[in-house]
Amino acid sequence: MGLELPRRQPTPVQIQGIGPASRIAPAPIRFVLNWGRRYSLWVFNFGLACCAIEFIATSMARHDFIRLGVIPFAPGPRQADLMVVSGTVTDKMAPAVKRLYEQMPEPKYVISFGSCSNCGGPYWDSYCVTKGVDQIIPVDVYVPGCPPRPEALLHGILRLQEKIGNESLGDRYHWAPQHHIRSVGSETLTAPLVAPPSGADVRVS
Amino acid sequence: MSFTQLTVDVPLEQWHDAAVATRDDAAVACAFFDWLSAYDDSSEERPATLAVVAHAWSNAHKHHVRLRTHVSSVDGRLATLTDVWPGANWHERETFEMFGIVFDGHPNLVPLLLPDGFEGHPLRKDFILASRVAKAWPGAKEPGESDHDTGGSPGRRRMLPPGVPAPGEWGPE
Repeated sequence: MGLELPRRQPTPVQIQGIGPASRIAPAPIRFVLNWGRRYSLWVFNFGLACCAIEFIATSMARHDFIRLGVIPFAPGPRQADLMVVSGTVTDKMAPAVKRLYEQMPEPKYVISFGSCSNCGGPYWDSYCVTKGVDQIIPVDVYVPGCPPRPEALLHGILRLQEKIGNESLGDRYHWAPQHHIRSVGSETLTAPLVAPPSGADVRVS
Repeated sequence: MSFTQLTVDVPLEQWHDAAVATRDDAAVACAFFDWLSAYDDSSEERPATLAVVAHAWSNAHKHHVRLRTHVSSVDGRLATLTDVWPGANWHERETFEMFGIVFDGHPNLVPLLLPDGFEGHPLRKDFILASRVAKAWPGAKEPGESDHDTGGSPGRRRMLPPGVPAPGEWGPE
């Protein structure tokens, strides 16, 4: 038959093109778009503790992750699309993590690196530790370890690249009625920024 | 003497004078302030007591001195050492927020490390670790004991570390 206009109905229609129907876009176009995204990740390293040292080790000559396409040390959250939270997230740092995550433009991905950011780690019973960064931001890949080896981070990046390769932007942004994977609603694209603390609360130490 | 360091126990009201003497006396001459902190020294003999310890070093004589005093944990007040050693400023702020000891004369006694709105004084022994109430400690409870041995001797008294209440004692019903 000929081309049919996209209709909002439960059963998918064979439509070619990008946009609300990209969820069911033919494989070549989606493949190319995903290929561009997964092999040019700019990483915003949210290094907080010892795992940051392992992240730095992974970015250095021996276990280089630039060869995977991940360019380290993006100038800031606004130029990054991957955030690697490495290290213990304390309750005092949690709003900053959230704010910087919100400052990253979509599409964005998060790797939680190390057991402290996965689940609180060895400090799970502390009075000031957030038990897992996934309590504040959505995480795509968890890399376990204390600290994980650099090879583990390389593996985590490869898994993330596989995940991006299988991704469909239509599913991600709720353009289509159904969604199968982690979906980011349209309200995320238009959400206001998390407000910084007011001047009255800021203490000059 | 402990750990080859001299620890001087000072009565509460002489805390400031002892610090001045430690810095100014020619034989002691501890001009370098290292740290000031506290620990919860409550016991059955003297309940609700906090010990405040200050450590100073003398570069001229190459020796350390530790000053210690005891403060009540209920509305305990102590003289500040910021006029003796300016470096004590932040150490006293941290001790204030972690233990609740008020330092009289401190120029800026506000919390240093804890997030805004944190209630309680975390390093006291009666501060409850809510995470341990929500989830029991998963590993061996005492050295040498593995998990599958816990059912073996029910008569042995289980030790609870400070801050972990007995099950059922604290928290929502």
